[in-house]
Amino acid sequence: MTITDTSSAAPTVRKLSSLQLASRYGTMLALLLLILFNLAMTPNFLSWQTVNVNLTQVAAIVIVATGMTLVIATGGIDLSVGSLMAISGAVAPMIFLDTLVPIADPVLAVALAFVLPILVTMAFGWFNGMLVTRYAIQPIVATLVLFIAGRGIAQVITNGNLQVFKNPGFQFIAMGQIAGIPAQVALMLVVAAAAFAVMRYTMFGRQVLAVGGNEKAARLAGIPVRRIKILVYVISGALAGLAGLVVVARNSASDANLVGLGMELDAIAAVAVGGSLLSGGRANIIGTLLGALVIQLVRYTLLANGVPDAAALVVKAGLIVLAVYVQQRADRS
Amino acid sequence: MPVFSRRTFILAASALGALSLAGTAAAEVPALKQKQTYKVGFAQTESNNPWRIAQTDSMKAEAAKLGYQLVYTDAAGSAAKQVADVNSMIAQGVDVIFLAPREEKPLIPAVMAAKKAGIPVILLDRSVDPKLAKPGQDYLTFIGSDFVKEGQRMAEWLAKNANGKSKIIELEGTTGSSPANDRKKGFDEAIKAAGNFQIVASQSGDFARDKGRQVAEALLQAHPDADIIYAHNDEMAIGAISAIEAAGKVPGKDIMVLSIDGGKEAVGLVAEGKIAAVVECNPRFGPKAFETMARYAKGEKIEPWVINDDKFYDSTNAKAELPNAY
Repeated sequence: MTITDTSSAAPTVRKLSSLQLASRYGTMLALLLLILFNLAMTPNFLSWQTVNVNLTQVAAIVIVATGMTLVIATGGIDLSVGSLMAISGAVAPMIFLDTLVPIADPVLAVALAFVLPILVTMAFGWFNGMLVTRYAIQPIVATLVLFIAGRGIAQVITNGNLQVFKNPGFQFIAMGQIAGIPAQVALMLVVAAAAFAVMRYTMFGRQVLAVGGNEKAARLAGIPVRRIKILVYVISGALAGLAGLVVVARNSASDANLVGLGMELDAIAAVAVGGSLLSGGRANIIGTLLGALVIQLVRYTLLANGVPDAAALVVKAGLIVLAVYVQQRADRS
Repeated sequence: MPVFSRRTFILAASALGALSLAGTAAAEVPALKQKQTYKVGFAQTESNNPWRIAQTDSMKAEAAKLGYQLVYTDAAGSAAKQVADVNSMIAQGVDVIFLAPREEKPLIPAVMAAKKAGIPVILLDRSVDPKLAKPGQDYLTFIGSDFVKEGQRMAEWLAKNANGKSKIIELEGTTGSSPANDRKKGFDEAIKAAGNFQIVASQSGDFARDKGRQVAEALLQAHPDADIIYAHNDEMAIGAISAIEAAGKVPGKDIMVLSIDGGKEAVGLVAEGKIAAVVECNPRFGPKAFETMARYAKGEKIEPWVINDDKFYDSTNAKAELPNAY
């Protein structure tokens, strides 16, 4: 006779192993350690200007990485974000500089310069989503298409030329302040908070996680898997477009060859360091925010202490390896 | 009946091959006849930035002035297309080829093909791999700026005009690139010789505006006592200016910005007083290029590196020179 003993399953408060703790709070801990290290070692670290510099520099990465977190939560990946940034960064100045069609009303021109480039990158995001769902191409290959072609498109529409501009209305997104907070930092916080709320409190959020956790089960449960997947690529495209606008506005210049170059890797790194599984089914928005901050602060620390840029890349890689290691061990135990 | 074994055949063949190789390697650069007018080729590498466009315009203008026929091609950033461009110039029978090589190694076949066809090649602004092709042997000469000298001139100007400022942040170009290495070497050595100055930080900004700005923001925060920023190109200098303004300081007053390249935007900023001085990296190759060609036709011996002279902009001449900047 087999009797299943259920007594051990009695609700006891299970103690988290140290690895699980590290996985849950590791990014936060790393950030605190970095801040402590800087307080001790880096000259003039303790000032608002330091906070300001780091938050404004990390804003674009966080905005892109938020979209990337959603894509990764469905088990996908979006390599095209850097190229999409270049496209929106190239299109926006063309609108208010009247390169395309003369727009008489400057307010309308600036409004269009915000809206149109993001619509364009959303369309490209939709294209990514179609490749992934309808044509069942692996996400890494599907988004590789626009990773390569996207920058080419940006170069073709600008002829590869640098566009230089001065437009306070448009540049408010990166130079302005909202209640003392730099506009791009406010934007970053709004994006991250919205994504956090969506993932935690809406059905869409649950559906994203379900698709990433077990796609077949999700489909059998009646979740519109295709629509959800397309939607996350569209969101990722929109956020990449927004980040592209921030970058060109901050520099008063748009260079199709350089805007967003390498951004896909920074964003993926932020997601990985932040504790979201790259295999999908989990979306840790706060983690991504902290992960991006850790990477930014590492770069700042090394720069401010005179360590060459090449070393910063090695440290960044080391951080990713460490984060992935901790996660895997924590999941196994 | 004598039978050649395969081995002797291979030996003989390779000996012949070696001979013919030695034959071409020893030959001189093809001569150039003195004529009333010439048909010259100019193989541009790309034309996506003001510097390249200024270079092309200068070559075209000088050719038109002399009444020469110019065969112009644009490789659009592709080394393979540039090789094809040079081959088509050879087929068209030009007298001289001016080549701005896209990359060091891939353009070697083009240089060699021209030599074989009896057409002298003059390299502009970039050189080819010195191990595979030599000036005075495979190509006539290299015409270009002296990057070490550019850094040196900036340091010497600074030594005279620093006005008590002394702590320098250096924004380097792309790590390992020759302009970055040379502009650093020239500046650092000359500034050390001048004494009184201290380079408090030196980091790469990748010749890019966005990266230059981010690096400048971090370095200005870590070294608030710095009062000079020396950038290896205009783009990083412009990025640094926006970093200085973001830090609540005034470029030109609190912090002196120095740059190399001398494009129109930077010279305009010199006129506004935001950049203190710019050494130009001269894109106007026309006069020097055609002058060198004429000297060679006359039978003069040409030095392996013809230096293209650079202008210098500071507050004394920026306004007047602005229309001439590229």
